[in-house]
Amino acid sequence: MAERRGPLLAQDKLAFLLSLVPFLMDHERISVGDVAAQFSVPVQEVRDAVRLIAVSGIPGETGQYQHGDLFDLAWDDFEDNDQIVLTHLVAIDDSPRFSGREAAALIAGLQYLSALPEHADRTAIASLMTKLSRGASAPPSQLAVENSETDATLAIIRESVAAGVQLEFDYLDSRGDHEHRRVDPLRIESLDADWYLRAWCHLREAVRTFRLDRISNPQTTSEAISSHADDVSLSEKLFEGSADDRTVTIDVESSAALLLRDYIPENAQTSEHNGLVRTTIRVSHYHGLKRLVTGMPGLVTVIAPSEARQVVADWAAAGAARYPAQES
Amino acid sequence: MPQSSPTRIPVEERLFSLVLALLATETGLTKNEILSTVQGYRQRYSRSGDNSNLERQFERDKDDIRELGVPLETLDSPGQAGNNQNLRYRIPRGAYELPSDISFSAEETALLGLAAIVWREGSLSAESRRAIVKLRSLGGIDEPVLGYVPHLRVRDAAFEPLRSAIEKNQVVRFSYLKPGEAAAKVRTVAPLAIVQHQGRWHLHALEPDTNVTKTFLLRRIVSQVVTTGKTFTPDGADHTRIALGELEQVWNAHTVEVEVTPDSDAATRLHKRRGTRVAASGNLLLHYSDANIVADELAGYGPEVLVISPQELRNAVSARLRLVAQLHAAAAETGANDG
Repeated sequence: MAERRGPLLAQDKLAFLLSLVPFLMDHERISVGDVAAQFSVPVQEVRDAVRLIAVSGIPGETGQYQHGDLFDLAWDDFEDNDQIVLTHLVAIDDSPRFSGREAAALIAGLQYLSALPEHADRTAIASLMTKLSRGASAPPSQLAVENSETDATLAIIRESVAAGVQLEFDYLDSRGDHEHRRVDPLRIESLDADWYLRAWCHLREAVRTFRLDRISNPQTTSEAISSHADDVSLSEKLFEGSADDRTVTIDVESSAALLLRDYIPENAQTSEHNGLVRTTIRVSHYHGLKRLVTGMPGLVTVIAPSEARQVVADWAAAGAARYPAQES
Repeated sequence: MPQSSPTRIPVEERLFSLVLALLATETGLTKNEILSTVQGYRQRYSRSGDNSNLERQFERDKDDIRELGVPLETLDSPGQAGNNQNLRYRIPRGAYELPSDISFSAEETALLGLAAIVWREGSLSAESRRAIVKLRSLGGIDEPVLGYVPHLRVRDAAFEPLRSAIEKNQVVRFSYLKPGEAAAKVRTVAPLAIVQHQGRWHLHALEPDTNVTKTFLLRRIVSQVVTTGKTFTPDGADHTRIALGELEQVWNAHTVEVEVTPDSDAATRLHKRRGTRVAASGNLLLHYSDANIVADELAGYGPEVLVISPQELRNAVSARLRLVAQLHAAAAETGANDG
C-alpha cells in the first residue's frame, strides 16, 4: 500500500526506536531490507535507527555510559552485509503499550468499518477492541463511531472479488438514467458516510465510480473478470476530473465552504466578501449540481453560468410546486 | 560513547536515552541526576551554573514521551514529600510493556491496518500510524485487506481542542448556533465524549450550572473552543455508549413520511437509508435525529420527494425549495455584477 509520509517527527522516530528494539530481539539476525519491509519505512531510516540504538544505553552505575551499559551490534555484519545482529541488550524487554489516544484511534476506526463483511463476526471484533484497551497505558479516550449493520451489497462485492468473477447490477445515475452494468470490481472506497465501488465498467469500457446506495440487485456472475486491480491505474482521487467537466461559479457561506472542498479545483480563483466565498467548483453535469446546491439551501448560490442557475432554479421550483402555495 | 558537540545530539537520541534510563531504574532518578548524566542533557549540563533552560527542555520531553503512551511516573523521595527538587522519575516496566498475553492474529492485524488508514488527517492519523508501528514490533505484518480504501474525515475545527479537553478534564467554552436562532449562545460545558452518529460528529457534555448532559453538533460550534482554566472530575462512566444510545433513541423517536417518485434517485437511495420502512401506501417512513438536517437532505431530492408528515417538516422542506428557487431565479441579474 503506497503510503505518503512527511518527514518524521522526533516523537515518531522515538516510537519507531522503541518498537524496533523488541522486534530485533525476536529476530536474532535479520536484514535491513526485511526490517524496512516489516515497518514500511525506507532502508536508510532503518540503518539510521540501528546505528542510534547501537550507541545508546543507560548511564549505569558510574553515570558514564560504560561499555556494558550500551546496546551493541555485530558491526561488521551490519556495515558489510546489511544484516542486523544485536549482541548486547539493555533496559528494553518488550514492545511498548499503545497510548490511550492511539488505542482510541484504532477502536474508532474499527467501529467505522463495521459495515464491512469482514466485521460480520461481532464477537471477534469486540474481543479485538478489548485487547486494544488492555494493551493501552491509559484508558482509550472517549471517542466512538456508531456501529452499522453489515452491508449486503458490500458482502456481494467481496464475494465477487474473492471469486474473481464479474459483478452485475442495476445502476441509477444522478441524471436519473437506469442501466444494467457489468463490472470488474477493483476497489471499495468510502468517504465518511458514503461508500463507493470503483470498477472497470464493461458497458462504458472505462473505470467508473458507483455509489453503493445507487446500486440495486447486485449479483455475482460466473464470468471471470477481464482486468485486475493491478493492471488498471486508479488515481488516488475518488472523483477524477474529466475534460468534459463543467466549471461553475458559486457563492458559498464561508462556514460551509469546507463541505465543498472536494469540488473546488486547486487552481480555483477564490475571493471572500461579507462572509461569502466566491469560488468555482467542477461538476460532471448540472444534474449532480442541482442536488448538491438544493441540499445546502441558502448556503450555496450558483452565480454562473446562467444555464446552471436555471437548472438549479427549475429543480427547486419543481420541488416547491409539489406543495400548495397557501400552506405554511 | 562517541563524543559529539552538545548541539549535535538529535532530539530522538535524547528522548530514547531518557526512556532507557527511566526504564532501567527501580527507585527512580531525580531531575538533577537525569540532567547531569543522561545522554543529550549531560552535554549541556552545568555543574555550577544555571540549568533552567535544560529543566524546561526536560519538562517538554516528559510531555512528548507521555504522549506516546509511555507511563512516566513521578515519585516523592522517601521522607521528602513535596520537595520538588527531590521528585524521582521512572517508567515502571509493567505499565510500559504490552502485556505478554496480548497477541494479534493475522486477520486482526489486517483489520487494524485497515482501521488505521481510516484516518488520514490530523492527530488521529498520526496516532493510528504510531499504533501500527507498535503493532508491527510484535512481528505480524498487516497485509492490506484487498481493495478497501476507507476514509473518515474530521473537518470540524472544534474536534481537536475538544478531544484534548476531554483528556485533560478541562471545562471549555464555545459559541453554539442553533438553527432558527438569530444569534449564537455561549455555552460552558464539561466535555465527556465525542461520537459520530449518522455521519456527523457530536459532543456529549455536562453543563456544570444545570448538571444536565447535552449533545452538541460540532458543526454548529461557531467560535473557537477555549478552556476556562477550570477542571472537572470525570465520573468514570462510558460516555460514548451513553451518547450513542441517546442519539439512537432520538433517531428512532422521529419519523418523517415521504412519497417518492418511483424509480428516481430518491426512491433508490432513501430505500437504502438506515432503518427505512415502507408504509402500506407505498410511502417511505424515514428516521431522523435533527429536523433541520433531514429537511436539507430531503430538499436535495427536489421534486422526487413530497413530505407527507409531520407538517413542520413539510413546511421546512417547501420553504427550503422556495428559497433555493428564489435565489436562483433572476438568472441574468446576479451573474452580471461581478462576472
